[in-house]
Amino acid sequence: MTKKIVFVIAFFLVFGVTAPSHGRVYIDIDSPTIQKFPLAIADFKNLGKNPDKDKLGTWFPDALGKALQVTGFFTIIQRNAFLEDPNQAGITTDSIRFSDWTGIGAESLIKGGFQVNGKELVAEFRLFDVIQGKLISGKKYTGKVSDRKDMVLKFASEVLLQLTGEKGVFDTRIAFAGKKGQISEIYAINFDGSELTRITNFRSLTLLPRWSPDSREITFTSYRDGNPDLFIMDMSSGRARKISGFSGLNLAAPWSPDGTKILMTLSKDGHQEIYVMDFREGKARRLTHNYSINISPTWSPDGKRIAFVSDRAGSPQIYVMDADGDNQRRLTYQGNYNTSPSWSPKGKRIAFEGMVNGSFQILSIDEDGGNLAQLTTEGGRNESPSWSPDGRYIAFASIKNGRNRLCVMNANGSNVRILHEGMGGYANTSWSSRSNLY
Amino acid sequence: MKRNLVVFGFIVVILGLGLILTVGCAKKVVKETAEEKTATVQKEAAAAAQPAETEEQRLARENAMKEAALREEQERERALAAQKEKEAAAAAMAEAFADLRFDFDKFDLKPEARETLKKAAAYMTANKDVTVVIEGNCDERGTVEYNLALGEKRALGAMKFLVDLGVDKGRIKTISYGKERPLDPGHTEDAWAKNRRDHFVVTEK
Repeated sequence: MTKKIVFVIAFFLVFGVTAPSHGRVYIDIDSPTIQKFPLAIADFKNLGKNPDKDKLGTWFPDALGKALQVTGFFTIIQRNAFLEDPNQAGITTDSIRFSDWTGIGAESLIKGGFQVNGKELVAEFRLFDVIQGKLISGKKYTGKVSDRKDMVLKFASEVLLQLTGEKGVFDTRIAFAGKKGQISEIYAINFDGSELTRITNFRSLTLLPRWSPDSREITFTSYRDGNPDLFIMDMSSGRARKISGFSGLNLAAPWSPDGTKILMTLSKDGHQEIYVMDFREGKARRLTHNYSINISPTWSPDGKRIAFVSDRAGSPQIYVMDADGDNQRRLTYQGNYNTSPSWSPKGKRIAFEGMVNGSFQILSIDEDGGNLAQLTTEGGRNESPSWSPDGRYIAFASIKNGRNRLCVMNANGSNVRILHEGMGGYANTSWSSRSNLY
Repeated sequence: MKRNLVVFGFIVVILGLGLILTVGCAKKVVKETAEEKTATVQKEAAAAAQPAETEEQRLARENAMKEAALREEQERERALAAQKEKEAAAAAMAEAFADLRFDFDKFDLKPEARETLKKAAAYMTANKDVTVVIEGNCDERGTVEYNLALGEKRALGAMKFLVDLGVDKGRIKTISYGKERPLDPGHTEDAWAKNRRDHFVVTEK
């Protein structure tokens, strides 16, 4: 009896200690409603003696507002609605009249200041709970004026951590196959749509980029040598080498969460089967034994199960199996064309591409097959879904009225945002891990 | 009497003048004719210098010209016939290796596809130095990967049919391009039907 009590007390102690210290949940990410959180960002004060040549007083709130807007969780209140007299108020709690801010509907307020000394920059950011009238978090960053965007993204991550419980994905990149004429290459782009870079230069058909869990390497399939072969590239050196060149298809598929294995689809025996290759062993082991098409495998976040596509029932559908190939069972029963599964890093949902009324849409389903939801509704084709590492966003390729786009939306289908457009085609999105830059 | 003498003298003078003129003209004419005549004489002299062509030789020369003309005509006809044969052969090959069409999300061979493949097999049996690459393709709908697999199934199906009809497997290669290499870039049912195809690349050594 005593042992049990001790155990129970210990259990609560552990639980109590790890509970979030601020207690309040500001933004409920999992809420199905699309209500955005109203946030005001005041112009930043010049706290130093030197004149504000770079107009940082307005640059900081604009850049911060843009970064937070992109997350899809906030309504940034326009500065022409502000009631506060900027000459009267300061940036500390006691110098702010919070009724000026609740009066315009804000629930949170960000204030800040800066000091510039030649190329050196010191910036202060403060996040306030306007309703309770208190400071939630304050940060001070020191660096160069040229580092100012990094400072903004660092604090934006802090705002997300405080208001949503997680830091966000400003330090992630989305890889995809971009088509120009007859050639496709692998590209990557930031979460906010900046810094598009081309990763491969094989001048052929190059497809299916898959990040390693630490985002240091990337696997992909290319027709560079006249056959769809599987390559791996080191991101820092840019050097690529072939790791599977069997006759037929060698299709790149996701890495295991612990980074020791990759999945792939090979058709060297005359039909498409799913294999797993352990980098430590260097050998490919076959998981499916089925004359139908078996393709597009993806891991569960705990690495214990694999979702994949098979047309063994007569049409392409999503199936799930154990990581060793056992227990293969069908997941999707609605519609006659369901492909491209992607398993949420939070575990419970699988996004995929399905044909609905003749067009292709992104759908999601529970990992046990329940609660089917349609996430996209517009456009002719929405394809290749890929989850962000925090499970809050889905990247996908879209064609609407003949225009090709790379898009991101919130996991519930809201806040569709165009990341890039103008290429001849976008396909095979793959979201990197966080690099802990912010 | 004296007057008569004067008249007589006058007439003589006139006659004399006329005579001089006539002689002068005649002389001129005679002069020209003489020049021409000299030329003709010179020509004939030159001709006469060569051996004179006999009747036989003239006939032979004419015959040779006729035969040359005949040969030319025969050459023309031969070339025309050869050209027609070439075109017919090309048409036969095109027919034997026409694109095979498929239904959406299907890789089974339709009756028209089987007919084409029978012709292809016959052609490859008759022409032993022909090798072929079968490229499998899909329309733009659906995922990149699933379509790579579907295209491969389409190519492999056609290959199996040819092999079953006796074509050596070593003469056939397959590759899938999925939906990456459409024939028609359009987004209509018509374009999609054209893109769901096996395409043959024929090499004749």
